[in-house]
Amino acid sequence: MNVEIADLTRRFGRTQAVAGVDLEAGPGVFGLLGPNGAGKTTLLRMLATVIPPSSGTLRLLGRDPGGYGGRRQIRRRLGYLPQNLGYYPGFTVADFVEYFALLKEMPPGRVPAVVAAAVERVDLGDKARSKLRTLSGGMLRRAGIAQAIVNEPDLLLLDEPTAGLDPEQRVAFRALLRDLAQRATVIVSTHLVEDVGAACSEVAVMDTGRIVFHGTPDELTVRAEGTDAAGDSQLERGYSAVLAAARATAGARS
Amino acid sequence: MTAATAPARSAPPRARRVPPAAAPARLLRIELRRSSMLWLLPLLAVLFYVSTYRPAMDNPPFWNIRGDMVQSRAMLVFAPLLAGAGAWIGSRDGRRGLVDLVGVTAVPRWAGQVVTWAAATIWAELLYLAGVAVLYGVTARQGAWGGPLWWPVAVGTAVVAASCALGFAAGARLPGRFTPPLAALVTFLALAGGAFAIQDNSRYAQIWPLNVQGPFPANSYAIFYPYLPDLAIAQVMFLAGLAAAALGALGLPAPAGGRWLRGAAAAITVAGLAAAGTAVGLAGTDRVEAHGMVIPALHNAASDRPTPYTPVCSHGAVPVCLQPAYRSFLPEVTAALGPLLGQLAGLPGEPVRVTQVAVTTVQSASSNGIGFGGPAIGGRPPALYLPLAGVSLPGEGSTSAEFIALLRGQYGPSIVNELVGLPASMAVIGVNSAGNPGHAAQFAVAQALDRALNGTAPARPRGTGASPPQAGLQAAVGRFAALPAAQRHAWLAVHLAALRAGRVTLSEIP
Repeated sequence: MNVEIADLTRRFGRTQAVAGVDLEAGPGVFGLLGPNGAGKTTLLRMLATVIPPSSGTLRLLGRDPGGYGGRRQIRRRLGYLPQNLGYYPGFTVADFVEYFALLKEMPPGRVPAVVAAAVERVDLGDKARSKLRTLSGGMLRRAGIAQAIVNEPDLLLLDEPTAGLDPEQRVAFRALLRDLAQRATVIVSTHLVEDVGAACSEVAVMDTGRIVFHGTPDELTVRAEGTDAAGDSQLERGYSAVLAAARATAGARS
Repeated sequence: MTAATAPARSAPPRARRVPPAAAPARLLRIELRRSSMLWLLPLLAVLFYVSTYRPAMDNPPFWNIRGDMVQSRAMLVFAPLLAGAGAWIGSRDGRRGLVDLVGVTAVPRWAGQVVTWAAATIWAELLYLAGVAVLYGVTARQGAWGGPLWWPVAVGTAVVAASCALGFAAGARLPGRFTPPLAALVTFLALAGGAFAIQDNSRYAQIWPLNVQGPFPANSYAIFYPYLPDLAIAQVMFLAGLAAAALGALGLPAPAGGRWLRGAAAAITVAGLAAAGTAVGLAGTDRVEAHGMVIPALHNAASDRPTPYTPVCSHGAVPVCLQPAYRSFLPEVTAALGPLLGQLAGLPGEPVRVTQVAVTTVQSASSNGIGFGGPAIGGRPPALYLPLAGVSLPGEGSTSAEFIALLRGQYGPSIVNELVGLPASMAVIGVNSAGNPGHAAQFAVAQALDRALNGTAPARPRGTGASPPQAGLQAAVGRFAALPAAQRHAWLAVHLAALRAGRVTLSEIP
């Protein structure tokens, strides 16, 4: 398993953003669904080793990220696209991706090749020499994806990766995810249920810091049966049904 | 995106073949290409021209003046700007929302930050050194005597690095749009504070990076003796320490790197602070010596040996010999002193030549200030030893005519006083000493000679109304000045020894 989580929590002061999450994930595309404030981004930031957990056990790529040595090993094999992607406006696409390839300790001799490949894979080959400040929001997002995949990661964490992409690009992106997932664990946090349905082999739904559903997209679809949950597709209705059930349970408990 | 058509590990279609290079070097190359400092370079170039190059060209081509300017004037402008630019660059990740992204890479964040700082600093240093190269190149073409002074350049490069480092650290710790202007302002105020501290006679303030040789004017050192690098060494140590401490402090927070790296950062921080503190302590032990600032612990006795040179001389009745650095001023000095020396020619003890000497300094008891000794007649045969420091040379804000008048006004009375045996200070306060008959006669002769040479009015006695002795003094001045030059000369030839010994009274003056 590339990701092993047990009873993971994260607090920010009195706020518990992630509350006792258990999760295991191997190669494949893992979708993380949930409403705003559910704790998806916090969970992803812990998986990306940006922030440490407040408690619980976390193992990534077979290593403990608590120690610096393990964390550094993980980071070499990690790709991360944060929700709010910052960028250096004066850098070109190629510079930006190369910069992160070097920061991920790619062998310098391989860097030009992997940079070119990553840029091509996000379909920005003709913009490789363009400054980031000249790109549209969707193109910037693709540049962000390129830096995330440039080191051919074994664990790829994408927070709202399709935000700003046009429908054609989203379709291509899903194909890219499936391709990457042949050997890597790809965890995609998203609001867009159709992305999960199209690309993910596994899905978890988070609400108020907890995982309230973990299964396949088909299993999530089934949850809609016999309910009057809202949604444009079966998957959306399944998602709504899971959330409604979770909230009803929580309300009854309190 | 092309996942469907391009396999994940397919050969890159647009890969460039480049020789493998070390990752830090490649990171540095990217940072150099994209550094925000590049945008600042044209402004820095203009400021170097306005603050340093143009004023330097308005001064005579002396290496000490040019060296002083590349340290003090250039850095007064550069340091605040570079601190601001460093803060802007240091706050880049915070302002741009890249902290998470760059924080989860395998290369320790601290190493990445140091590379970013290095790129910005390299550009600033290159611009500064290019400016210095142009200025020194032009100075060499202008035929300046001696060689360029490199220690002020070393201090300048250290100021550049330290300004960038301090600003960078401030920006990285407090990322925000107000940090760069604040960093620039604080740096400027720190420089201004250093100036005030020096004026306030704080010895430790000698470490101030714009301080070249303490109270010595720029044209007074590194001519007759080598440049004394003691203070510059302490300044470089101080600035390097500050830079190391600022950069090291960036590696202290947990996200900066592992335990070993943070330990190294802590060691660098402590070493930097220790170096800076030691440098300040050393600066506190400095003292003004004859030809520069001396810090005993850093002083090399070899620097005390005079620099050999062959003087350049005029060929008049009384030759005037100057240090070759002052070659271009020989006509003016000769023109200024010639008439006076002509009046005195043949008198016993009259100098047979004028020789420029190194300035002599007098440490003021109550401050860091120094005074310069004036001309003196000595040696056998007698020579007039003439220091030229503290005089505004042609090109330093005065014309040749003004320089000649200045020399006559400043040195003429001193030379005459020296000749008649009057203490140099009597040129100013002589009238108050008129009660001493011997001094009164010396003063009267000196005043009369000065008036005869320059047509100046006699000095008025201090206070209201002329007392009888003062009236007698003025009468003697008037009488002696009115004599024909030959008659004055003849009287002096006979009575100079007695006059010097204070045995001539006012009434004996013809």
